[in-house]
Order: sequence, then structure tokens, then C-alpha cells
Amino acid sequence: MSRRAALLAAIRRSDTNGYIFVLPYVIFFLAFVAYPLVFSFVLMFHRWNLVSPMEWVGSKNFIRLVQDPLFFKSLFNTLTFLAIHIPLQIFAALGFALLLNTRIRGRGFFRGIYFLPVVVSGVAVTILWQQLFSFDYGVLNSLLRLAGLGRVPWLIDANIAMPSIAVMATWKNVGIYIVLFLAGLQGIPRELYEAARIDGASPLRQFLYITFPMLNPTIIIIVVLSTIGGFSLFIEPYVLTGGGPMQSTLSGMLYIYNQAFYFGHMGYAATLGFVYAAVIFLVVTVQRRVIERDIAT
Amino acid sequence: MRAGILAVVLIYGCGDGNGPRNEAGGTIELTYWPAPNAQEVELADSLVREWNILHPGVHVVMQPIPVNQSTEEVLLAAIAGKTTPDVCSNINPIALRDYVASGGLIPLDQFPDFDSVVTQRIPRELLGLFMTPDGHYYQVPWKTNPVMMFYNLRLLRAAGVSGIPNTYAQYFALGDRVLEKLNGPEKAHIWVGERDIRPIWWQRMFDFYPFYLAASGGQPLFRNDSVAFGNSSAEEVFAFFRTCYARGYFPRTSFYQSVDPFMLEEKVTHIAGPWQVAAIRKFAPALDYSVEPLPVPDGRKGPVYTFGDFKNVAIFTTTKHPREAWAFVRFLLSARYDRLLLHLCDQIPVRGDLLTNPLFAEYFKNNPKMVRFAEQVPFTRGMDSAPDMKEIFDGISQEYEMCAVYGTKPPAQAVRDAVERARMITEWNR
Repeated sequence: MSRRAALLAAIRRSDTNGYIFVLPYVIFFLAFVAYPLVFSFVLMFHRWNLVSPMEWVGSKNFIRLVQDPLFFKSLFNTLTFLAIHIPLQIFAALGFALLLNTRIRGRGFFRGIYFLPVVVSGVAVTILWQQLFSFDYGVLNSLLRLAGLGRVPWLIDANIAMPSIAVMATWKNVGIYIVLFLAGLQGIPRELYEAARIDGASPLRQFLYITFPMLNPTIIIIVVLSTIGGFSLFIEPYVLTGGGPMQSTLSGMLYIYNQAFYFGHMGYAATLGFVYAAVIFLVVTVQRRVIERDIAT
Repeated sequence: MRAGILAVVLIYGCGDGNGPRNEAGGTIELTYWPAPNAQEVELADSLVREWNILHPGVHVVMQPIPVNQSTEEVLLAAIAGKTTPDVCSNINPIALRDYVASGGLIPLDQFPDFDSVVTQRIPRELLGLFMTPDGHYYQVPWKTNPVMMFYNLRLLRAAGVSGIPNTYAQYFALGDRVLEKLNGPEKAHIWVGERDIRPIWWQRMFDFYPFYLAASGGQPLFRNDSVAFGNSSAEEVFAFFRTCYARGYFPRTSFYQSVDPFMLEEKVTHIAGPWQVAAIRKFAPALDYSVEPLPVPDGRKGPVYTFGDFKNVAIFTTTKHPREAWAFVRFLLSARYDRLLLHLCDQIPVRGDLLTNPLFAEYFKNNPKMVRFAEQVPFTRGMDSAPDMKEIFDGISQEYEMCAVYGTKPPAQAVRDAVERARMITEWNR
């Protein structure tokens, strides 16, 4: 019996209900994951503006990419964003999680409030921050003026715009990481703290030698999720700055969007997308190697 | 933009089309798309009504171009969906290559009387600029809006400036006088000029590009499909605007007022086309101003060129009646309808005889400010028809922002980088 016939016989023998149950996901996967991926891969070797027929260009999209200063600029901007956003995210989320893990009054209320920005539309949040960051009429600059300080060009200075966006993105996403840290904190065995207290360890030492190492898996998850999320930075610069001033907030995703839908270079945008996916894979691999520790040792 | 095209393809591509329909009862039917603004629709309506009376065998249906973000998107979508009209009079030369590459337009020089009809209207030198690299003409230049400099004469007098600047040095002298005399404590701020500082590609058609044409004597950005603006003229233009921002003549912000600051007398100079004359006539009829050619680098001699937003006429390949469509185009290009274009739309027909043909005399007598635009027509240039001009202008805009607005890059470096980017895009398109 050939291999194909054996496979068909095995399928016939199996329970067909199982195939029916998985069919919706298989259809979803083929339509929304496999097909776009394969199509994007094909697009990398073509020039296509959505209207005219596709034109085979071979490796031209890759040649352009290595010569394109805006690609490197957008990569640099994204890495700058990550360098500010990830540490800020971890410190803010861990700090709030530690506070919300103690027995304070209204704990449930505060846990809800910190999670609220996560569920609010990204565009709505960004427009709100646009009002806060406004140079002439923004709330932040009004407060600074009331305090007798000068105004800060939050979004109109090339050196400050990306850090401003990183602060905003941290505010938006911190809630979900608080929840992850809370889960991590509640998973630490209480006996470890009891033993440490009996040995005379101070709260700081308990944090450094018990809490922090035991949170290592949570930190890895948060760093990986923040990195992938950071590489997807789009709504904030698209709405707040359009990538300016002087391209200082042009993120990778915004550049891909511009190439695809503003200039109509679908093939080049697909090439950028695949290269960014490879960069994300590389960065996450390095992060895991650096951060991951075996808790048992 | 392309997402918009896709939407338009879906909407218009699924219909039964607006192309020429089969003859009903022996009558040929043509479809004509004018621009969708009220004045041009009124003009098109008059034109079609008269044509249909005079030509009972060829019935023309007028339908304004479906409203979208841009006409170019709609036409590209219509070409893809094979739902183009027979004739359209809102062809932007910047997108012509895309239309031709998509197989959307027919060469008009196939008609035996093309040369005589067109050269009767416009100088041959100007016509030559609209030839595509394959040696054919797919468009007839119809109207243009030359970009010129408006000066507020009352503010100039108040600043003690006598004479209109012709050169950059004279413009800077005007700027210094305005800052000295019209600005200071307890005075409302009067700007020398103002431009939208956002790095949006088409904004450079109202600062960098017309000034480049003026500085270079009308040289194109591309020559034989190669980048040709890496020169001293481009550097001089970047340096001019850099000085305007550095000395505080122009604000480093964009005005978002509903009323134009030039009409509010908040700035002394303003770069605009003939549409500004119509707006002033309507909203600020008492404004004392003049319209002049753009200033040029010191020492430059000869005519002062500028950019004009040309809109041209073309026939699409979906037409089943090219001869009849060409006859309709000839009718549209007649002097009588050019006169109506002036009267109804305040737009300048591309003609060499605007100031000599008695048909137009009454209009220019009643609208003396428009005479300067008519004089400018022979020295008005359109946009190069190179692929991806939008992205090339985006690159120029980015460099303009860095060099001129924020002064973080010297002009020579900014021009070099803009040229480098344009070359990369051009190479990629080959």
C-alpha cells in the first residue's frame, strides 16, 4: 500500500466529527494567516500598486531596502522607542503591582482603573494625549507654566518627541503588565518569605533575593511582549506626529504603512515587513538568552 | 491613497460602466468627465448642451468626476475597472505616466489635425513639454494656475518699502524693514510671509518647486529620466527659505485659521495662484495688493518661470468612437469656451493669445489683476512626468523641513540627500 493510500485509509478510519470541529479554525488559518503570508512572500519579488498588474522585479526590493536611509532611520527610531519604553514599562508595572499586591483600601478599584487605558481605543487615547502634549494650549505645559517653569516642546522637538510617545505608550499598556506581575507575585510561595524573615532578611533583601528572581519568567514574558508590541508602534506616531518632526518618530510600522498605502509600493512594503519580522525574531532571541535564568539553580 | 483606489475600484468596477454605450437609434453616445467643482460643472453643462444641439448624431453625457480624495485615484481605479469615460478634462500631468502605463489613454497625435489644432492655441515650445518619452502626445494642455507672489501694498507702504522685490536680496531687505517697522512691543505681529511647514509632498509645489523653476530658468527636475536638480539653483532656493525662517520672516508653525492671514493683513507676502484673486474679490475686496513674479537669486537675468498646476484633456482607450471624441475635444478647446472658462471659473486657459485675442479683452479689462497671470502663461511649467513623483517630492519635503524650516542641515547637503533619494527611487522604478 502506498503512503498516500495509507494516509487516506487512516483518515477514513478516524472520527470525522473531529475534522468538522476543527474546520472553522482551519478556514480562518488558511484565509487570514497562511494566504496573506504566502501572498506577502510572493509580493516581495514584485512591484504592485493595487491597480496595475503585478510586475516581477526579482531582488530589486531588497537592493532598495539596503540603500534606503529611511528604513534604517525607522529601525533606529523603533529601537530608541524600545530602549525607553521597555525599562519604563517594567519599572512602572512592577511598582504598581507591588503596591496593588498589598492590602490597601480600594484595591479592586485601583486594579480596574490602571487597566482602563488598555481597553480604551488606541486612537481615542492618542487624541487625548495630543491635547495634553500641545505646546501652546496643552495641560502639561499649562501646569509647567503655573509652576513657573518653561514650556516643553513635547511633540515638536526632534529630540523629545519619541520619549514623549514612549511615556504615552507606557501609560496605555501598563495595566496589562500589572496584571501579569500580580499573577507572578501571587505565584511566589509564601514559605520563602517566612523563611527569609526568620533568617532576619530585610524587605529590600526579600525583594532582591526572592521576589525579583522568582519573577524572572514574568519579566521574560513582559520583555518579549513589549518588544513585539514596540515594533508594532503605529497609532501613536500616525496620529500624534505623522512621523515628524524631521522623521524622528517614523516607526517601522508607520514606514511600512506609508510605503504600502501612501506611495502604493505593496511589494516594497511586504519586503520591509518580512525584514522587520526577522529583526524582531533576532532581538527576542537575544533578549531571551540575556534575561532567561533557570530559577532552580 | 491606494486603499482609496481599491475602494473606488470595488464601487465603480462593479457597475455597468460609464464608457461609451452602444448607439441607441443610430446616435453615438460619449461620456465626458469634468472636474467636480461647481464652476467647472457649470462650464461643462453649457458646453455639453450646446454640443448636443449642434451635433444631434453624437450625444454627450456630462458626469462630474466621482468625488474622492483625488481625481488621480478615481481615474486609476476607473482604468483598472475599464469604466473610464470617453473624454476627461481634469488630467494631471503628474499622473499621466501611470495612466499610459496602465493602457488607459490613446495618443492624440494619431489625429491628422492634432498639430494644427494644438499649435494654433499654444506655443510649440510649451507643447513639447507635454510629450511622453515614447514620442506621443496623450494630453492637450487646457488650463493652468501659475503660482506667483502677492504683495500687500498698504503694509509695504507702512514699512517704508518702495518697489517690489525682484531678487532674494531685495526680498530680504523688505523682510528686515517689515520686522523693524511693523513689529515690536504692543504691535500685532505681522509676518513677512508664511508657508505650511508640514512635510507634505504637494506643499512643495507652492514653495520649493516654483522657486526652483524661477531660479533655474525653467529647468525640469528630470532630464532623460535622470535626476537633474542636483545643482546650485536648488541650493539657492533651500538657502532662501532657510534665511526666511532663520531671520523670523516666516513662522515655524502652520496657520490653521479659516480665513487666509493674507486677507486679514497678518502677512505682507503670499505665494498663490489665480484662485487667490477670486477669493480676495469675494472676501476682502478692499485689500490693496499686487501680483508679481517670484523673486530670483541675485544676478539672475531673463524671464521668471514658475509652476502652474496644469489640467489637461485626454481621451481614454475605452472609447469606441475616438474620432467623435476628438471632435468634442476640439470643441472644448475653442476660444469661445476658453472665454467662458475665464468668466465662470477665473482659471487661465493655456493659450498664447490671451492678451491679444479680442474675445478675452473684456474679461482682462474687468479683472486687471488676472493680466499678470496671463502674461506668466508662456513661462509656466508643469510637473515632470516621472514615475513616483509623489515619493520624490516627499523626499524633497523631508529635506526642506530639515534644511529650511529647522536649519539642521546645510543647503548643499540637503539637496545632495534629496537627489540621492530621488535617484534611488528612479533606479528602483527602472
